[in-house]
Amino acid sequence: MNRNKFILQIALAIFLILIAALAGQLRKVQKEWRSAVRIMPGASEPYVVFDPNQVDETRENNAPEVLVKFRPGVSGDAITQITTRLNDRVEDEIESVPGLAAIDDLDNVDAESISAEYRALPEVEYAEPSYEISLDHDGGGFKHLHPNDVRFSEQWALDNDGRNGGKEGADIGALRAWVTSTGDDDIVVAVLDSGVDYNHSDLQNNIWVRPDNIKQYEDRELGSIEDVHGYNAVENTGDPMDENGHGTHCAGIIGAEGGNEIGISGVNWKVKIMALKFMNAGGFGTAKNAIEAINYVIDRKRAGVNVRVISASWGTRLPSRALEDVIRKAHEAGILFVAASGNDGANTDKSPQYPAGYDVGNLISVAALNRKDELASFSNYGAKSVHLAAPGANILSTWLGNTYEEHSGTSMATPMVSGVAALVLSKRPQLSVDELRSILLRSVDKIPNLNGKVSTGGRISAAKAVGAE
Amino acid sequence: MALTKEEAIQKARQDLAQRLGVSESDIEAQSVETADFPDTALGASVADEMSGQMITPGWRIRLGANGETFEYRANQHQVRLYNYKSGNYRI
Repeated sequence: MNRNKFILQIALAIFLILIAALAGQLRKVQKEWRSAVRIMPGASEPYVVFDPNQVDETRENNAPEVLVKFRPGVSGDAITQITTRLNDRVEDEIESVPGLAAIDDLDNVDAESISAEYRALPEVEYAEPSYEISLDHDGGGFKHLHPNDVRFSEQWALDNDGRNGGKEGADIGALRAWVTSTGDDDIVVAVLDSGVDYNHSDLQNNIWVRPDNIKQYEDRELGSIEDVHGYNAVENTGDPMDENGHGTHCAGIIGAEGGNEIGISGVNWKVKIMALKFMNAGGFGTAKNAIEAINYVIDRKRAGVNVRVISASWGTRLPSRALEDVIRKAHEAGILFVAASGNDGANTDKSPQYPAGYDVGNLISVAALNRKDELASFSNYGAKSVHLAAPGANILSTWLGNTYEEHSGTSMATPMVSGVAALVLSKRPQLSVDELRSILLRSVDKIPNLNGKVSTGGRISAAKAVGAE
Repeated sequence: MALTKEEAIQKARQDLAQRLGVSESDIEAQSVETADFPDTALGASVADEMSGQMITPGWRIRLGANGETFEYRANQHQVRLYNYKSGNYRI
């Protein structure tokens, strides 16, 4: 090789190295710009609360965008190959959870799409966006965690800022509670209702799926039922798809996926909803089918499913000894039963509503509040027979057809309490059902106008129940 | 299939005619108004029936025959006869 040619090759190599370095800088600048845009009010996430005086304590500008859990046995080399193929890179491995990695996207693709791309791979157990959140503090010095769900500002029950005639702070204290926990998908809540639209985009990631190690449901009379998401007691099948909307609404209050940039946030951002259908398209069902569905829940608990709460937003004036007995069996199985007190505007100490009126140790009966912290005009009450109140008027939640609707009723107040129960369990999974019930009842926010109306005299408090204040 | 208000009124009229043993033409639609009912059974549960405790919009249909007034409740899913001889009936 002659001297001139050698110098030319050295110069070319230096030039290429400079180009590569410049490209790297540009990518970094691009990522920082994209991160900055994400938290600008009025930009792609207009409902994320952002105070320029506050520092986002939860993310760095170049934070990873997707959390991916690879299946056991997928090697580090295989993970690298997958991420390289998708033009991503492993930003960090989460050592405490084998197979879990924070993935940094190198394309201009939104986190939900990337998550979906990974979820479709056979090597992947689950994938979810690394939630974009912001922290701030309220006047009392408590930290707040705000989700970026685009209609969160309409969810007065979770954060009542006084708009639309509401009373500031008349909510369940979700923002303060979420600093402590946003839920855990190891906790299963059974929504015993008209079924659930398990395909709703704000619910589908939080719908229970029977694990491979749990055998499908066997009923002595009906035989084997392939229960993927729950059970349909109306038609005795494994498909609990909702045809009414009521169950889907209740499910969204408990666990619409939080921090996913769409729709609303449930009381739990992460949880598993077991869908149970015993009411038909009209929204009514029989005690016998309710009993069949509760029996299914108890069976699944005994089979190893961590179902801890049954949410029951329904009722009747007529008692059923058999229904009471099966709720007692749920108590023995360690399952909390949360029930709607009813919508007759009546005193249920004198005129009981069931199942809310049964004197069973695992039962919580729930009245409904409006956004002014007043007992809703329709809500039943009872100093002995109703335990606590929760927001239940003009509640926005998921509905059929991938939509959202506002509805009112003790039906809506009930899943608020079920959701808080799941949130408490996400922090303290070892709690017994009696301990859990006691915490929920003892931690209410006392409301003067509930004196003599509900036994605790208060509104459910997620913040106090999880120990955030 | 979802019921329209007109279809609900017609079903109510047919039901009442049958119950009373009169001609449909003898039944007068006294009033039809939108209403919020206390539950998904429109506040007219039948025995052994559980219903969602959600305020449910629908129509209150008042029909007159034989000098009496009868109340039906309906929405897109159902028609019910309310408080007839101390009971409710799903049509």
